[in-house]
Amino acid sequence: MASPTRHSTRDADPALAWVAHLRAGGTEPWTSWRARHDDAPVGASSPAASRTPSAYVPGAQQLELLRRLNLAARAGRVAPPPALVERVVNASAPGRGIPDLPLMGTVPGPHRFGPRPVDPAELAAGELVRVASGLLAEDLVAAGVPPEASAPAGFRRPWAPSYRISGDPWLVWPVVSQLGRRGRGPGGRRPQWVVVGTDLPTMLTHAWVVRSLDSSAIGWDDWLTNLRGVRSLPRRADTLGAVHRAIAHVGAERVTVVLDPARVPRVLGTRRRVRPMPPLGANAADLARRVAAPLGGLVLPDHRAELLRHTLLPRLLRLGDLGGRPLAVPPEHTRWVARRAARVRRGLLATGCAVVGDPDVLLRRPEGRDLQDRPDDQGMLDLALRLLLTPEDDRSTEKGPTPG
Amino acid sequence: MTRRILLHVGTPKTGTSYVQDVLYRNRPRLALAGILYPADRFDAHFLAALDLMRLPWGGLETEAIGAWDALAARVRRHEGTTIISHEIFATASRSQVGRALESLGHGTGGPDEPELHVVLSVRDLVRQIPAEWQENVKHRSSITYAKFLRQIQSPERSTRIGSWFWGVQEIPDILDRWARDLPPERVHLVTVPPRGGAPEVLWKRFSQAFGLDGIDLTLETERANPSLGAPETALIRRINRAVNRELPPAEYRPLVRELLAHQTLSQRRTSPRLGLPPDVHEWVQRLERSWVEEITVRGYDVIGDVEELIGSPPATWSDPDRPDGDDVAAAGLDAIKALLLDNARLRQEGAGLRHELDETRDALHRAYLRPTYRLREKIVRRLETGQVGRVLLKGYRLARGRSSRSA
Repeated sequence: MASPTRHSTRDADPALAWVAHLRAGGTEPWTSWRARHDDAPVGASSPAASRTPSAYVPGAQQLELLRRLNLAARAGRVAPPPALVERVVNASAPGRGIPDLPLMGTVPGPHRFGPRPVDPAELAAGELVRVASGLLAEDLVAAGVPPEASAPAGFRRPWAPSYRISGDPWLVWPVVSQLGRRGRGPGGRRPQWVVVGTDLPTMLTHAWVVRSLDSSAIGWDDWLTNLRGVRSLPRRADTLGAVHRAIAHVGAERVTVVLDPARVPRVLGTRRRVRPMPPLGANAADLARRVAAPLGGLVLPDHRAELLRHTLLPRLLRLGDLGGRPLAVPPEHTRWVARRAARVRRGLLATGCAVVGDPDVLLRRPEGRDLQDRPDDQGMLDLALRLLLTPEDDRSTEKGPTPG
Repeated sequence: MTRRILLHVGTPKTGTSYVQDVLYRNRPRLALAGILYPADRFDAHFLAALDLMRLPWGGLETEAIGAWDALAARVRRHEGTTIISHEIFATASRSQVGRALESLGHGTGGPDEPELHVVLSVRDLVRQIPAEWQENVKHRSSITYAKFLRQIQSPERSTRIGSWFWGVQEIPDILDRWARDLPPERVHLVTVPPRGGAPEVLWKRFSQAFGLDGIDLTLETERANPSLGAPETALIRRINRAVNRELPPAEYRPLVRELLAHQTLSQRRTSPRLGLPPDVHEWVQRLERSWVEEITVRGYDVIGDVEELIGSPPATWSDPDRPDGDDVAAAGLDAIKALLLDNARLRQEGAGLRHELDETRDALHRAYLRPTYRLREKIVRRLETGQVGRVLLKGYRLARGRSSRSA
């Protein structure tokens, strides 16, 4: 590939010199760099430049991402790996959207063709996240799925209680994986069917987060807006639907609804507690969703879901607060969510199934907790930079909660 | 033999589907002339483009994984001329172009470096703008024509529609990305003749650009990307609005795009055609003239006439956002008829399959009624009732080497 910077005019052309500056770990913004080199000729990077095989100036998005990466690396007292620097310089924002943008001031005369030049420092954080998401997707493919995630479930002990479990996947995953490792995974004859749920706003956030870890779903706001327009709840947040499906399989007398997740192990006949999945921050969840999109062009859908759940999710959870605060349903959606929750509670009590926990939990509105209404692009960018800079060695030793 | 690569990178709505189908169907004849069109399926180069640019395309991208590298490997192995063609290559970024050309062997400077030619088929914006809106509508969009025009006129090009439109239509910028270090004689612009010209003229121009003159090719194809009239496009837009939430992309393509738009509504030739609103025409013509000047200055090899890029003002104008109700109703009637006929065909197919299934079941049942089968079944049932019998059966199955528990 024609190198974006290795060119004889590098020192003379401010744009190419800036690329070299960034490549060497520099952090000076383009406009001040340009001002300091104002007398230098421009044009080696312009489209009308000579037609010899030559360098080109990468898009403003890639260069600004590299500058932010250098800033983050400097703050963390690390150096970005040279290979990563090259990948950023040569990257393109995946998918449809704004194309690579030229740097302001690199093309002499009035703007004639192509997208308008920009000051890279003024690019929206979301645009930089777009480029970073493609790089993170490549990282995931290179890392692969941890072997323990694809290992078959352990031998189920004959004396383990027979049960099936469904409901909120964020609450069910740790139960299935941890009990499975103890030889008490779901299965057995004439099972008790346990449906795990909690308040509807929390279940909606869980459903969207799990969806984001499955495929390149739509954003949180659009998803909620779409839900408001349809009568049904999404399957992953529909406690009543899960109960009806369970009843159809085993009958109401063998279905138990657990609305206090801490009591699930006891209901399943084990005294040892199950470590719950910590909540995933809003920014972390949305970053996973954005990474899922370019990942879909690199691997098949099943493998994508495995990479997102078993490789990316533990990394995100490990970064804790950096992933942002957990999501909350924004105020404009609370009324219809409350109406649906009341409907679920009524329907649940009418089924006659055993309920462990207070049914009024279903009507609860998570308040007073440190939540955020929607993901924040700047927070997402910080997180993406942190992930890009995390050395591979550190990643391989990460031990975080993983979904079953 | 000189290795030549002819890279046809756009633009959409310039007869590309037809050209690609001719090339695909004539692969053996082209091979005899030393020309490779490396495709095992009609849309192979489309998939390669999706892979190169990592573009999601309604789930089709999962079939595209690794397609570019596989295509490039075939091209590198071929000693003669290779043709690669897809219109969405036009939107590739410089780094994607760099990756593509490097993987094809361009820029090595060695004796094996292929002679690279870039081909761009182009048409005036007077026809391209409505055609692009229609293409959006045929890909599930419910955007109005007025809004589409506003988005492409915005200098920021910050919307998905604006950035895509100029990415695949702005001729000087496309060639800046794809051909910036090629000598102008290796950049070939094929212009689409004005409306009303003889249909074979465009093919002759492509044939010249690809060096196919003198090769006996079959030019009849079944593939085309036919255009719709204003009321028909308005109807599809309304259908999109109604079904988008419920109809998955995998069903949309065969039912709406193929059955309704391409097979049914495109046959309605008498309805008002899509065009450019008169108030936009001056802006468009200014743009077209600036492109023509730039192309002339750059000295590219133009096959056709570069002045054909300046479109004529439309004689009549029919607003697809306010179509004639009777026209839309008539198009709707045709759509209902097509859906009913298709549904009837599927019902007949279903009935035929049910009949075949019933016959198979009967045959199976008759086989079960044979005395030897019934005797074996009786023995197995008897053995399964007792401990000794079950052990004997287990031993028998082990000896037979099958895990099946059924008799």
